[in-house]
Amino acid sequence: MGTVQIRNARKAYGAVEVLHGISIDIEDGEFVALVGPSGCGKSTLLRMIAGLEDITGGDILIADRVVNNVAPKDRDIAMVFQNYALYPHMNVRDNMGFALRQRRVPKPEIAERVSAAARILGLEALLDRKPRQLSGGQRQRVAMGRAIVRDPNVFLFDEPLSNLDAKLRVQMRSEIKELHQRLNTTTIYVTHDQIEAMTLADRVVVMNGGVIEQMGPPLELYDRPASLFVAAFIGSPPMNFLSGRLAEGDILLMADGTRLRLPVGDPKRRSEVTVGVRPEHFAVAETGWPAVVSVVEPTGSETQITARIAGQTIRVLVRGRFSAPPETVIHLQVAPEHVHIFDPAPLPDLAELEDVA
Amino acid sequence: MAFMSRTPARQGVAGNRVRIAAGIAVSVIFLFPVFWMVLTSFKHQVDIFTNPPKFLFSPTLETYVEYMTRADINKRLANTIIVAFGSGVFSLLVGAMAGYALARVRIKGAATFGLLILLSRGVPPIALAVPMFLVARKLGLTDKHITLILAYSTFLVPYVMWLMRSFFVSLPRELEESAMIDGCSRYGAFFKIIVPISLPGLISTMIFSMILAWEELLFALVLTNRHATTMPVAIAGIAGDTINGANWAALTAVGTITVVPVVIFALLVQKWLIKGLADGATKG
Repeated sequence: MGTVQIRNARKAYGAVEVLHGISIDIEDGEFVALVGPSGCGKSTLLRMIAGLEDITGGDILIADRVVNNVAPKDRDIAMVFQNYALYPHMNVRDNMGFALRQRRVPKPEIAERVSAAARILGLEALLDRKPRQLSGGQRQRVAMGRAIVRDPNVFLFDEPLSNLDAKLRVQMRSEIKELHQRLNTTTIYVTHDQIEAMTLADRVVVMNGGVIEQMGPPLELYDRPASLFVAAFIGSPPMNFLSGRLAEGDILLMADGTRLRLPVGDPKRRSEVTVGVRPEHFAVAETGWPAVVSVVEPTGSETQITARIAGQTIRVLVRGRFSAPPETVIHLQVAPEHVHIFDPAPLPDLAELEDVA
Repeated sequence: MAFMSRTPARQGVAGNRVRIAAGIAVSVIFLFPVFWMVLTSFKHQVDIFTNPPKFLFSPTLETYVEYMTRADINKRLANTIIVAFGSGVFSLLVGAMAGYALARVRIKGAATFGLLILLSRGVPPIALAVPMFLVARKLGLTDKHITLILAYSTFLVPYVMWLMRSFFVSLPRELEESAMIDGCSRYGAFFKIIVPISLPGLISTMIFSMILAWEELLFALVLTNRHATTMPVAIAGIAGDTINGANWAALTAVGTITVVPVVIFALLVQKWLIKGLADGATKG
């Protein structure tokens, strides 16, 4: 059984605590993505599960066994690294069979399992090559082959697609998903790319500053972000935010005096709030929030409009065609279930999130 | 892999000629003393002292025959081989593992510790030679191969350790981590993954160590007197024996005998030597 339980795991380097008590229960066969900006502790957590970092506090259980003091080799896990970490002096066949040789698996069985894995990943023609003779995508595939040959309890992926170009990344992403559907091995996948997390995982864990911001199925995070951070982090293009003061239950009073009537009120909240609406949830209508168009960008299937409400820039995504000259005033409507009201907090720096590679 | 790639330098034909000329000039400056030594070793005593020096003379193998048939010289050559090989292997084993620990293990003060070991090389060897002699005598270890091997390790181990440390630092940590997940212990990962990858660096480091041990004079002079004496001591003996005037023919012939094995050895391993040096260069 490939279950993983993380119970109040903490990690400190000297006096500096970087993980402040993380708890996640991962079921057998589940695909969990740990996502967050660099420095949020996601890779550290993965390395603690692998046994490459000590656990300062709490417990980590793999297959119902506490592994806090178990050596990496005895945890029955396989890991794919960002730089692949292929053994440069061995050919693909030996790279893939290395773990089995360490475990003294009989030679005929090694050969059989390596060729089975090579068949799954389309590596049969490359078995006699050295890693330096392979392209990035091929190296990536060998690294995955090395993991699946083992048939471990858990797969750990540490930003496995970050070193690939955009096109290959999308292709490998669906290969990883297909592989998981086929093998159904418990997988923990670390990435800073929320699209990767959303598309691959059964459950996404959003981390920030050494704590879990929110975890749940991808669409739940998208539909009901628990915090401003998650709202800003999940979704592309990102959610729009308008800040102001909540008055009379459902009026957003903005700095320049503009009053926006929200389709849904929150009588419990009073003072400063941030209202979030995803670009694709706006509809252009006859009435609604007035917005001044700055740029209209048609892409064929959809049109992206950049506009201003009370001086605050928003993005609107509409299906189909739309055109309007700059400085036109349009009206936007939002369904009640698509309005998110948050306490104001500093927004994560999305530009930084996007170009971490 | 990235650490094996090299960028070819682009240069014009004229630039090439200048480089070649400069290379030849430098080689002449470095090699002339060696050339003169070899030349002198084939001269009769009368030709050696002619002024101006003669480039054309009737060569003789007289000195070679005399010294190569002498049992003491052969014994010393054998000693030199044993000591150079022994200290090369021993210091590589100890130094490489120490260098790996310095490169990878996170211990407080590891950097300071490494620096202290390096600083120990700043102590003048003569200051160590006398205490070493006293310790060796107390242990009954004077005039033995093992004594010289251990004595040479005092300067070879720090040397190997620092060279290999910078080599290991340039290797991605994930290689060992991957090996450790695949079923190796830390030692297993070192010997099965890191050592094979580092072979060019390890071998070139060992070759340099052996050459340093081969030519070492001071410790050999102090710590041995008959059985374990090496070639440099023999040369020093001939140079110091001036009762009948300086015996240049003997000095240069024995010097040549000492140098030739190193040259042959270097030619045999030059593939490794060049690869190792170049790797070190591109890795910084």
